Amino acid sequence: MPAKKKSVKRTNASAMGKKGAARKRAAPKASLANALAEAAWADADKALAEALIELDEFENARNEKAREAALTLLAQALAQTARKRGLTRIGMLGAQEAFDPQRHEPPPRAKSAKSVRIAARGVARGAEVLARARTEAPRRRSPR
Amino acid sequence: MSAWTLCIDFGTAFSKAAAAPSDLRFDPANVRPLQLNPQPSGNPFLLDSAVFVDDARILFGRSALDRASSMAGRKRVALQSFKTLLSAADLERALDIKAPLSIDPHRAFCMRDLIVLYLAYLLAAIERARAADACIPARINLRYAAPAWQGGDSDALHAVVAGLFGEAEALRMRLGDALLADEGIDLALAATALPRAADEARPRAMGLIHEAAAAAAYTSIGLDESGSHLIVVDMGAGTTDMAVLMRADHQMHELADARVTFNQAGDFLDRLIADRALKSASWAKSTAQKTALWGDLMRAMPDLKAAMFAEGRASRRYERRLINVSLRDIERDQDFKAFLKELQAAYAHCVAVARGDALLRENASIEAVAVGGGAGAPFIQELISGATKRGPRVTPRPATPGWAHSEVFGGNLAPVFPQLAIAIGGALAPDNMLAAGGAA
Repeated sequence: MPAKKKSVKRTNASAMGKKGAARKRAAPKASLANALAEAAWADADKALAEALIELDEFENARNEKAREAALTLLAQALAQTARKRGLTRIGMLGAQEAFDPQRHEPPPRAKSAKSVRIAARGVARGAEVLARARTEAPRRRSPR
Repeated sequence: MSAWTLCIDFGTAFSKAAAAPSDLRFDPANVRPLQLNPQPSGNPFLLDSAVFVDDARILFGRSALDRASSMAGRKRVALQSFKTLLSAADLERALDIKAPLSIDPHRAFCMRDLIVLYLAYLLAAIERARAADACIPARINLRYAAPAWQGGDSDALHAVVAGLFGEAEALRMRLGDALLADEGIDLALAATALPRAADEARPRAMGLIHEAAAAAAYTSIGLDESGSHLIVVDMGAGTTDMAVLMRADHQMHELADARVTFNQAGDFLDRLIADRALKSASWAKSTAQKTALWGDLMRAMPDLKAAMFAEGRASRRYERRLINVSLRDIERDQDFKAFLKELQAAYAHCVAVARGDALLRENASIEAVAVGGGAGAPFIQELISGATKRGPRVTPRPATPGWAHSEVFGGNLAPVFPQLAIAIGGALAPDNMLAAGGAA
């Protein structure tokens, strides 16, 4: 690749020294980020492993009681995984909110929406929305 | 080169350390938690607080716990919970007590010896981690965080702890990296080195920062504006502490009248949850069954508690049976009700003290933050979010500060922040927030 060759050509001993020092300084920052990721994932991995096992329990359940137990533990392990990764849920199931395209998927078949009902909560990490909440049109109030 | 500060947090189960520059404008990229644990698995930032006296060797950290676990049938245990020991009313006397037979079957060591050995191991782990991080200079100011026990004399505690660190540093110089070996160190070598290190030791120049002040530091740092008063509710494993800090002239002062410490905290909740689960397991009739179930619940307790705090209920599969416990069950418990009532009264007292002081100052505002393992408990969050009837409003702050979500950490500091919070806050806090001691 020509660009790469060019940069190698320009490199002299002094520049190498500076770049080397810069790399030496920068390396631990990358390593700290990796270690933080490792720490954050270590516990999440355990919870995810539990979730996978409970998925098998769910699929192999012989009766409704066993299926319900597996689903309870699967949900708990998944929620645990999310917490360990710093994920939070957006909105409350069934709640009616003003439509916000950053946080909500538009309700299916709706041309425009002013308010929506949360059908499935979204997921965020800090301020970053990873998945918008799925919504549906608000339920009409039954006449008195 | 700028001056850096390193703070050690002795958690009940783990030790943690973090470093930060003292004289630079705050930059999240300069917050450096130390990777104390070199084990390939597990959290690299958490060093197990444990010493195990084996037949011919002394083991530290994870090796100590693994060995103790393999010898549990012989009633052998590792020494842990150094924090509990440091809270003893007469610390010097507590340190001179011989370690119990279950910890030291040779009757060769007193508690002071074992703590000095652990601190030497911790200092060696810190030095290894510091040397691996080129951002942190070799010369660094040292601090440690401790709770401000009610009625405790910070200067007296600090003199003893600085002395222990001095002995530990002398011991580390003698034993070197052998302290970090998985197989630990030779018992006879340790027994010989300890008195020599004690003779050579000089008290270590270091600072003591109260955990509440460390929490205030990480909560308010990086903010353009933060409250003049901060109420800190810290529910750890052994104690729940409340403190009110007041900021004036860029200094943080504690309003001593507000401080409250309860002996009920995370361990108390663990017992309530396990007890409730045990009662619901009507099939567990024999003592052996109950003991085995209790042990299983206690091992799973951090996850159970996290689920209960977040979802209001927690479940556990045990021998193909499902055990359910709900937060409502716990809230019905008479002991819990009594604890909550006292907690609410103590918090109201803290608010009153903060408000009384705030009214004397211009532009005063009060904030509250929950820290420690119990920070996420709904009843703690309700406490700090509770509406106040009159006077300056109390604004709750999140347990994990906004800067912990900074992109420089790739989104990975926030999930582990609660575990590292006190070490980080202690490293970030200015010298004027120290309870005793100072920079080296």
